[in-house]
Amino acid sequence: MQGASSGIGYGLKYQARCISDVKADTDHTTFLAGTLSLKEENEVHLIRLSSSGTELFCEGLFSHPNEIWDLVSCPFDQRIFSTVYSNGETYGAAIWQIPELYGELNSPQLEKITSLDNHVGKIKCILWWPSGRHDKLISIDEENLYLWSLDVSKKTAQIQSQDSAGMPHKISGGAWDPHDVNSVAATYESSLQLWDVRAMGKTISIECSHVRSVDYHPKRNHVLVTAEHESGIHIWDLRKPKVPIQELPGHTHWTWIVKCNPEYDGMILSAGTDSTVNLWLASLGNDDLSTESQAESPTHWVDPLLNTYSDYEDSIYGLTWSSREPWIFASLSYDGRVVVESVKPFISKK
Amino acid sequence: MMGNDGDDDAPLLLDAKAKRMRDLLSSFYAPNPSMPSHSHTDSSIHSSPDDINSSSFDPNHYMNILVNNSNLEGLLKRHVDMAAEIKNLDTDLQMLVYENYNKFISATDTIKRMKSNILGMEGNMEYLLDKSRSDSVNTSLFEKREHIEKLHRTCNLLRKVQFIYDLPDRLGKCIKSEAYADAVRFYTGAMPIFKAYGDSSFHDCKRASDEAIAIIVKNLEGKLFSDSEPIQVRAEAALLLKQLNFPVENLKAKLLERLEHSLKDSQLNPEEIKNASPSAHEVAIREFAEAIRSFRVIFPDSETQLVEIAKDLITRDFVITEEYVTTRICAADLLGVLRVIWNESLLMDEILQEEAVSNHFLEGAKAAVKLYVESAFSQLLLDISDCLLKVLKRDETEEHSLPVARDASTKLALQGGRNLLLEVCKILDDDSGIVDKLREPIIDWVQEGLQDFFRKLEDQFQSFSGKNNSSATQIHGLTEAAAFAGLVLVLAQLSAFIEQTAIPKINEELAVSFSAGSDRGYEYGPAFIPGDISRKFRSAGEKFLQQYINIRTQRISLLQKKRFATPKWIKHKEPREVHMFVDLFLQELKVIGNEVKQVLPQDTRKHRRSNASSASSKSNSFREEKLLLRSNTQRARSQLLETHLAKLFKQKVEIFTKVEYTQESVVTTIVKLCLKSLQEFVRLQTFNRSGFQQIQLDIQFLRTPLREIVEDEAAMDFLLDEVIVAATERCLDPIPLEAPILDKLIQAKLAKSSDQNTSPSS
Repeated sequence: MQGASSGIGYGLKYQARCISDVKADTDHTTFLAGTLSLKEENEVHLIRLSSSGTELFCEGLFSHPNEIWDLVSCPFDQRIFSTVYSNGETYGAAIWQIPELYGELNSPQLEKITSLDNHVGKIKCILWWPSGRHDKLISIDEENLYLWSLDVSKKTAQIQSQDSAGMPHKISGGAWDPHDVNSVAATYESSLQLWDVRAMGKTISIECSHVRSVDYHPKRNHVLVTAEHESGIHIWDLRKPKVPIQELPGHTHWTWIVKCNPEYDGMILSAGTDSTVNLWLASLGNDDLSTESQAESPTHWVDPLLNTYSDYEDSIYGLTWSSREPWIFASLSYDGRVVVESVKPFISKK
Repeated sequence: MMGNDGDDDAPLLLDAKAKRMRDLLSSFYAPNPSMPSHSHTDSSIHSSPDDINSSSFDPNHYMNILVNNSNLEGLLKRHVDMAAEIKNLDTDLQMLVYENYNKFISATDTIKRMKSNILGMEGNMEYLLDKSRSDSVNTSLFEKREHIEKLHRTCNLLRKVQFIYDLPDRLGKCIKSEAYADAVRFYTGAMPIFKAYGDSSFHDCKRASDEAIAIIVKNLEGKLFSDSEPIQVRAEAALLLKQLNFPVENLKAKLLERLEHSLKDSQLNPEEIKNASPSAHEVAIREFAEAIRSFRVIFPDSETQLVEIAKDLITRDFVITEEYVTTRICAADLLGVLRVIWNESLLMDEILQEEAVSNHFLEGAKAAVKLYVESAFSQLLLDISDCLLKVLKRDETEEHSLPVARDASTKLALQGGRNLLLEVCKILDDDSGIVDKLREPIIDWVQEGLQDFFRKLEDQFQSFSGKNNSSATQIHGLTEAAAFAGLVLVLAQLSAFIEQTAIPKINEELAVSFSAGSDRGYEYGPAFIPGDISRKFRSAGEKFLQQYINIRTQRISLLQKKRFATPKWIKHKEPREVHMFVDLFLQELKVIGNEVKQVLPQDTRKHRRSNASSASSKSNSFREEKLLLRSNTQRARSQLLETHLAKLFKQKVEIFTKVEYTQESVVTTIVKLCLKSLQEFVRLQTFNRSGFQQIQLDIQFLRTPLREIVEDEAAMDFLLDEVIVAATERCLDPIPLEAPILDKLIQAKLAKSSDQNTSPSS
């Protein structure tokens, strides 16, 4: 396939699930990836794309005490990131800082700023305040949602508020609305639930089954994209939560993760357990997303699937756009292979 | 000052001279000599003797004054002036005399002529006198003549009166002898008088004759309406009635109404046409035709109305035909009906000597045939969808309904389509001239109909499959969900069948029987585009198949989810038996297998399983042992490396291949998807040794039954291995079960399940 030639590879030593774009690093296109190994010493890799854009090299390699299930780089400090980890039996979440002098050390230890300790169940993810320097963090486990106030200098984190998911459901993930910082979306087995952070109360709920991943449209208010195991990708308008605006077929097997491009409207990336990454171009129509645009879409229907990158050996769980160079994305397959691709040839098509 | 005076004097002098000339002339003719005196106001103040023009002119006095008053030069000048003036006056005088003489001569001529004319007057005067004498005779006789004339008029009048007084009797006689024509003539003759004096002098007479005429009218009417009377008589009656100023139009309308009414009794009955050859309708039509014929003679000016009536008849026939057409008839029946109507319209045309009716027929026939084609297609569509929907309704007897539905619907789609074409062919082949002009439109309609039919069919399929699309699978009962899955599967197969078999065949047939050019023109191309339809059905079929697979895998996925979400794998107890989940999984697969077997064809290309299975199973179990041995002795990390290496050397197993319309392909796809899901679920857990062993046991048990189901054994084995590998990776202490224990547990399970299988049957 096309992706085979253009992709730049990088191998992690172990299996891995999570990769994150280092948003705060404005000088380089950098990613953080964490490994998932039950028995070995897990690592966090700081991977940088060379300025020529043809090579990935390891900028830093840090050992992490447990296998990493979730890793997010801090949006305002490139040296800070959060992980969700597990030792097999219990889960934990922590905020880490990359040590200052890591270049001189061989395998430097990460400095733990603080751990977010109140969880009992399986922790799913940690959400940073969507933009800019802010002390708020949200951590989500299967049953609860915590809002933390983080003080980096004092190395403390305190729970501000908390809400439970409601008994029969288990939360599987979430996203923080970049347009309305009071709103957080969490994915359930059978629905998508929105919270108001101020009151820590549930607001809208969207019925959809087996949601795996959710991402807000970075440019359009009210629009979010969900990836579902079996039924592919749905694009929703929160003002009309009954029916999705658009459906994309997704993947042959589960669609695991979905990411909206931070810059190019309607460009959506999805990765799945069928070892492929799909690049979609959703036609979101006008900003007010009237029914007219819906009616119009089938008439000049074009295949929304722009490209399939299939040069992978295993399921892909990690996927991120680069916020510095928004035409670049990094994907991480379970066998520990990071592949960075450019979607430039498809942008010009627009 | 000086200049000013000179300018003023010149015109004054000229004026004065002209004036004087005029005065002179007028004084010559005018009797009043005092007239010119006023012109010389300044000189008339002086005494008159010195005025040369006045009567009291005294030459001496004048001379004296002149000599006294003027010098020599002045006198000389005066002399010259005077001489010129005298000369002028002389010529004027001469001219006047000449003119007067002329007048005198013409007067003498006139008198001469008058004298000669008077001579002929004498004779004329004498004739005039004679004439006045005979006129007096005439006037003396005039009175007598007038009297005679008066008497004559009275006589006439009396005769008329006599006639009128006799009229009632005469009319009565006429009625008796049925000489209506005479009666009408008499009556119309008397009419002016009745009109003038009917109210006064001839009142009784008028009444009596009116009565008689009323009888006549009644009789005439009766004649007109009686069908037994000869046409000539009836026509005459109509004519007479018209002469009597009887409102014939009303009669005509009434008669027409009767005609129409007579038609209503004999409505076209399509069923009868099939049975008895001269149906009641035909008889009625024949009668009607006769009636029309006579009517045309009776009322020669009623052609347009008759044409309308005939057209109405045809229209009514077509209304019935159209109703009939919608009740599933075959082409022969339609043709039969059309033929009857065609004959009718020909008959009408013959009688009316026009082509209006048969043209009308052509229009009607066009509509009827079009409707026939359309309704045939819609019937077919309805049949197919009925057939398909039975799958949903008959969930009790689901076992049988799936293949029945598939067979019936595929048969309908192909056979129905072909039959339809055959039927239409029959219409086309008809040589009775009915469809001559309709041939090309019919071809177009069929093509359009086909296109439309397939498009609608596809829409219908989509709507069927979309019915339970969103969340209905969870809402409705399980049986219904299962039935729905079956429906989707049937739809998939049907779509594939239509795409691969029905459309090419129908297209072939179409090319054979409907190849005659259509009037759509080349730029539009034929209305039926098989490529387009095929493409649509191909994509629809693929979609349905995918949907079926999705529905089925979703159900299994739910099972798996429950299986992995419930226990605490990290604190799992030692495996005692194969988990129940495996049973459920296999059961689901069995259901799917059954369903698929009923609907989809078997893969005819590959038969390798039967002979290759033993060998492959051996090699697989061998590999399995090796794998387990390896994982037993080595640590996970190196093992991961090795699996990677193994993958590199192994041909990359295509897990997600394209689904085909065969039992094997569908089942294999579903199994593959489920195993992949299993692997993914395992990857999300962390196992202790017992948990891992449980997975190992379950997977090991699955191998044999799956091998029987699945076509692509390599991929299945690979996936099963992958599940084990995933479990190994996610296990804190991956020590597998010993082979004997594994075997023992599996045997126990097999024994148990065979027990369960035999016990209900025995």
